Amino acid sequence: MIPSRKFAAVLVAVLAAAAAIAFSVHAQPQGEIPMPEQPPSLPASLLNHNLVVLDPAHGGPDGGAVLGDHILEKDVTLALEMRLRTALSAAGFTVVATRDADPADPLTADQRAEIANRTHAVACIVLHATATGSGVHIYTSTLQPSLTEDAGGDFSSAFVPVPWETAQAGFVSQSQRLSGDLSSVFSKGSIPTLAGKAAVAPLDNLMCPAVTIELAPLPVPGEDPAAVTDANYQQRVAEALTEALQAWRDHADPIGMATPASAEDSAQSKAIAAAEAAGLAAARARSQAGATARPAQKGTQ
Amino acid sequence: MIPRYQRILFWVLAGAILLMALVLLRGCEQAREKLTRHRDETPLAAPVAAGSASVHLALANDADGTIILVDRDLALPTEATARARALLARLIAEYSYKNSAHPIESGPAIDDVFLLDLPLHPPVAAGPKTADQQSASPAAPAGSDLTAEPQVPGGQLAVVNLHGTFADHHPSGIEPEMLTIQSIVGTLYANFPRIEQVRFLVDGRPRDTLNGHADLLRTYAVVDTATGTAQPTVQEAH
Repeated sequence: MIPSRKFAAVLVAVLAAAAAIAFSVHAQPQGEIPMPEQPPSLPASLLNHNLVVLDPAHGGPDGGAVLGDHILEKDVTLALEMRLRTALSAAGFTVVATRDADPADPLTADQRAEIANRTHAVACIVLHATATGSGVHIYTSTLQPSLTEDAGGDFSSAFVPVPWETAQAGFVSQSQRLSGDLSSVFSKGSIPTLAGKAAVAPLDNLMCPAVTIELAPLPVPGEDPAAVTDANYQQRVAEALTEALQAWRDHADPIGMATPASAEDSAQSKAIAAAEAAGLAAARARSQAGATARPAQKGTQ
Repeated sequence: MIPRYQRILFWVLAGAILLMALVLLRGCEQAREKLTRHRDETPLAAPVAAGSASVHLALANDADGTIILVDRDLALPTEATARARALLARLIAEYSYKNSAHPIESGPAIDDVFLLDLPLHPPVAAGPKTADQQSASPAAPAGSDLTAEPQVPGGQLAVVNLHGTFADHHPSGIEPEMLTIQSIVGTLYANFPRIEQVRFLVDGRPRDTLNGHADLLRTYAVVDTATGTAQPTVQEAH
């Protein structure tokens, strides 16, 4: 009988230990996700220094502003985008554009931002045109700089999810620096500029140094202002933008760990551009399929 | 000799014309009486002698993208929402004048202005929201939570309901649209110190943009507008 008592005591002890272990595991808070000791960090440099995203606004049924007799803003932005693409390519940039034609079913603002955010471009340029005002208007986001950026832009310390609506907050200071550089180059080229902040889609959703360029008629002393459709005016703007972006790519980096533009960087840009072309086609396919869901990386950028 | 049946037909037609004329006259009289009676039944508000007061208008300038505060002496209603509506109507009217620095087509622009005390308390939903209802509600950017406590006690949210025709005929472009919004926000802030945030509706409904560019779905923080670099003159005035 004694061995059976011992066996029962051992059995009870084993069961009690198992229950204690099970209870301790079950009592762990459900919402608490165990974090790894070393949080995943972003790459050393967020920006691809040879890649620029161009977003000619409007398109398809959205013609934008009417800039004259039967001239729509969407056509002017597309013409400027083509000139800019040519000039940037000649300067060694890889260019990703959100549209190269006038599709019947254009991408939404969120889809355009999604394309731009995948590239980690050194600059994202949103193109607009207007018949009001004069010269070139340069706008940055109205968001306040994020705390991460204020703290020195140490993006590598931890991966912090960013809300889609305020994705640009981490790049606002960079965008304002880019805006200042662009203004300087335009002023050098005798093109009047107006810099400010604007609440325009998809500026707040872009995770790159981003500005909106709005082309307005160019005042010419003693003559009528040059219209935004003027080819020479557009070419001057495209060349000035290219010059400014060439200078920008050498010192644009939120964390100061970027390497200068190199052949390896250029190859990476071309790979991204090729992948982006596939992504653009996929986004258009989704758009045509009537997909209205927000981008997949919403809230996790 | 005129046949007899033709004479009968003539008199029948003449009689019918006379009868129709009498019916028409009677109808006109009845309509007139109805209008007069309706007018008599309309309650009339007692006239209030509102003295003119100095107000500040934040006037935009397309040439340099600035907003300048100017003073005007206006006789405005005493009730806050009516006062805000009249003030903004006057502001937009300034833009329809000849040689305006920020030309906007004349016409009705401000339908209503509502002043709501912050924080807003969302209504308790009777059931789970459908996907359509969720997508219809505009997402306010971070930092503009309307259910959060106001920065100062008694802070208000101004909801400006614009006419659809005003939005449709507004000059299209980032600069003109943003200047109009900043002009409205700056004018409200300069004359209604309790207003902290401004939202816009068009014909009572949320609308993506004013006319293709400036975002109308977000909540505009008045403090941000007053300290923004796009409005140096407003900043100096405050």
